[in-house]
Amino acid sequence: MTLASGAAVQRRRNWQAIVTVALLLVVGFLVVLPMVFLVEASLNVGDPLAFPPEAYGLKNYFAIFDEDINVLWNTLVIAVMATVMAILIGFTLAWILTRTNVPGRALLERLMELPYYMTPLVGALAWAVLAGPRSGFVNQLWKGMGFSGDIADIYTHFGIAWVMALFEGTVAFVMISASMKSMDPALEESARVMGASKLRTMLTVTLPLVMPGVLGATLFVFAEMLGSFAAALVIGIPARIYVITTAIWDSTLSYPPDYGRASAMGLALFVVMFGMLTFYRHMIVGGSFATITGKAFRPRPMDMGRMAWVLFAVCCLYVFLAVILPVAALLLTSLQRFATVILSQAEFTWANYQTALSLGPVRTAMANSLMLGFGVATVGVIVMAVLVWIIYRSTLRGRGAIEYLVMFPGAVPRLVFGLALLWAWLNIPIPIYGTLWLLALAYFTVMLPLGVRTLAGVVLQIDKSLEECARVCGAGWGYQMRTVTLPLLKPGILAAWLLIFMACVRELGASVFLMGPNAKVIAPSIVSAFASSGTELTAAMALIQTFTVIVALVILFRVTRGVTRELS
Amino acid sequence: MSTTRIEVRDLVIRYGDTTAVNGVSFTVGRGEHVTLLGPSGCGKTTTLRSIAGLEQPVAGSITIDGQAMYDAKARRNVPAEQRGVSMVFQSYAVWPHMTVFDNVAYGLRVRRQGAAEIKAAVERALDLVQMRHLADRPASKLSGGQQQRVALARAVAFSPTVVLFDEPLSNLDAKLRAEMRVELRELQRRLDITSVYVTHDQEEALAISDRVIVMNVGVIEQIGTPEQIYNRPRSRFVADFVGSANLVKGRYAGDGRFETEGGVALQAVAGHAPHGGETEVAIRTAYIDLEPRAGENQVPGTVRQRLFHGDFVQYVIDSPLGALIVRRPPVDLLDEGAAVTLSFSAEHCVLLER
Repeated sequence: MTLASGAAVQRRRNWQAIVTVALLLVVGFLVVLPMVFLVEASLNVGDPLAFPPEAYGLKNYFAIFDEDINVLWNTLVIAVMATVMAILIGFTLAWILTRTNVPGRALLERLMELPYYMTPLVGALAWAVLAGPRSGFVNQLWKGMGFSGDIADIYTHFGIAWVMALFEGTVAFVMISASMKSMDPALEESARVMGASKLRTMLTVTLPLVMPGVLGATLFVFAEMLGSFAAALVIGIPARIYVITTAIWDSTLSYPPDYGRASAMGLALFVVMFGMLTFYRHMIVGGSFATITGKAFRPRPMDMGRMAWVLFAVCCLYVFLAVILPVAALLLTSLQRFATVILSQAEFTWANYQTALSLGPVRTAMANSLMLGFGVATVGVIVMAVLVWIIYRSTLRGRGAIEYLVMFPGAVPRLVFGLALLWAWLNIPIPIYGTLWLLALAYFTVMLPLGVRTLAGVVLQIDKSLEECARVCGAGWGYQMRTVTLPLLKPGILAAWLLIFMACVRELGASVFLMGPNAKVIAPSIVSAFASSGTELTAAMALIQTFTVIVALVILFRVTRGVTRELS
Repeated sequence: MSTTRIEVRDLVIRYGDTTAVNGVSFTVGRGEHVTLLGPSGCGKTTTLRSIAGLEQPVAGSITIDGQAMYDAKARRNVPAEQRGVSMVFQSYAVWPHMTVFDNVAYGLRVRRQGAAEIKAAVERALDLVQMRHLADRPASKLSGGQQQRVALARAVAFSPTVVLFDEPLSNLDAKLRAEMRVELRELQRRLDITSVYVTHDQEEALAISDRVIVMNVGVIEQIGTPEQIYNRPRSRFVADFVGSANLVKGRYAGDGRFETEGGVALQAVAGHAPHGGETEVAIRTAYIDLEPRAGENQVPGTVRQRLFHGDFVQYVIDSPLGALIVRRPPVDLLDEGAAVTLSFSAEHCVLLER
């Protein structure tokens, strides 16, 4: 008996070691290997299609500063403009919604999440429809009112930055309001008690305390802007304004495709973004800013009197510009034969939807995206739940390394990761390039951080003693899982499933590289429709995609409200 | 039949490089209520959790009812669910996705009892904590005190012989805590269970235990009945942590005599056989009288400060022993500056072992 259980302990240890090594190998294969291939490709100065490379060198890196210096300049200008605008939006909204008595605060806070779920791709298409030169709705109205020329042109540096800022603004809002919420109001109140005026308190206490949060958000948003792709693709390419992401994309389109050049640019982008994100995390975790305690305070909101309604209007304006106006523009466009905002000239029709739903390639792309969404979300959630349990609940050695690997794809720009996967799977002798299998594998890999973070949030909320208590009551591992752990995790698992599903249906960055002629998905198809067919058909396709995401979103909100109710 | 229910021997538990429990041994008798008392980080909770099978020790052994639950030498570690003990968690661990009834019935259902038996046992357990009327309520809709009662009912519903308590009252407010303390003691008596209780609240430990084990930095400082712990603290740590005491430095002169640094000779007792190297005595603040009493240690002093606490009055008295704290009933108040004579018997002047 004693001997047997001794052997059992030993057996369990061996078994755990095998599990750890196997997991590290599989995740490492999915996450790290493509990056290795990318590094190798970037150093290839011989025949760009040869593998392994015939000659190594740094020529591809020098070329960035030599031939593509204007690309770097465009990237910098647009990223800076977009960051400034996004932070302004985020700061204003955060201040209004955490520090003032704006009416309808709870509802507004919920509405602020919407732009995040509207894809930047759809937003960019909509703003191209709204503010394109001559035919854009804004310019049509301007002429309709008797003026001449264009009032707005989206095909400029500022136009690209504007669209990017509009959709990243909500991220800035979430980050800045988190730092405002975590500030102990007693810090301000004690300044007031010491005799400081409202303004003096604001300048000497509030601002210095919130500043690190704002700086952190700026850094994070700027890094995101450098790697942003959709708006630059939809608006930048027709305008011949190339940024680094579109330049990477473009150099793989030429013949022969210049993978070395693309890889060098991709790696350079990755290194810059990775550095900034690491620095950002260091700032947050470094603990040098005591305001971020993780403890939530309910700050007493300032009484703004009649101004409160002005602030309310400001919040509504943001939702209007980022959500309502774009969707309305797309809706109007998709329902006409020729897009116009002068309704007396409009010819309304369902034809675009009929075409979108009957056109072979569009239908298969839509079906493929839905299938991938269902498949990846279902299989992914199960695998990720196991990973989360191992990382955060087991005592397995090496779980820290697994966590790092799993979170790694989050630090790589999606587009660069797509490129890495492309080059890796072109050269790995497993023939899945150009099939849905590779897309599924890629989606699973890039969704790892999202899924694991969502599930971990729920797992960490569940007090460990809830599980321990089941064991002490006599339940075995299986019984405990079935009666306690899984029921408690259910809402979180559903939420993770829906988030992954939505992310798959809207995936663009990795898909553009990995889609094959027989494995098309919807987001890249929308982009190519915009380039080749009319805006009206594209609008219909974009709305069908958006509608799918909205359905998932409505279910998500239902579910998550259930979560908060159950756990509170 | 042995009267020992639980036996812990030379237990060592490590987390990485830190040793949380460093060679702890004690026994708990059948029907006995033993409390592990100590400041946070002293290893008391870790010890308790290893009895439940939730922590894996690195050395020593744990035996329950003569059966080895953990034995380092034999490489034996029975999983938590097979140990047959029960536990009340600090966070209550009431499952929010079940009703009160389902929570309490859990241990019975695991043991595959019949529906009628389960119903009867759950109702009996809920009656014990006066929660029967809330049986159908979702557990997420309970107040802190109610959750605590459910956790208690759940822990005793499947008639375990051993129940472990991990600071079960620490999340309640002071008034409720005092009430629950009384109920818990009552429950222990009625159910004839053996319990090990963990707390950092010395008042709670003294009030509800048959024996108290005082722990500090992973080792046991003293084991004894509440009265022994209070009246004969063995070490400076116990004297200081349990109750309130004045510590006076000096030198043991042999034959029950202790010479303080200020040159005062006191009559003292020891809970141990004095070895001559003792340098400190402890005098409980409650055992010092402010009027001369014949045949006792007597020291002159002056009232420096008086603090009125309601249930007692605390004086700070300057004396040749140093500034002493004295707690008296709130009658016949002395003014600050008044001259007094401190009296305390040799019984209450306890020589500390280290």
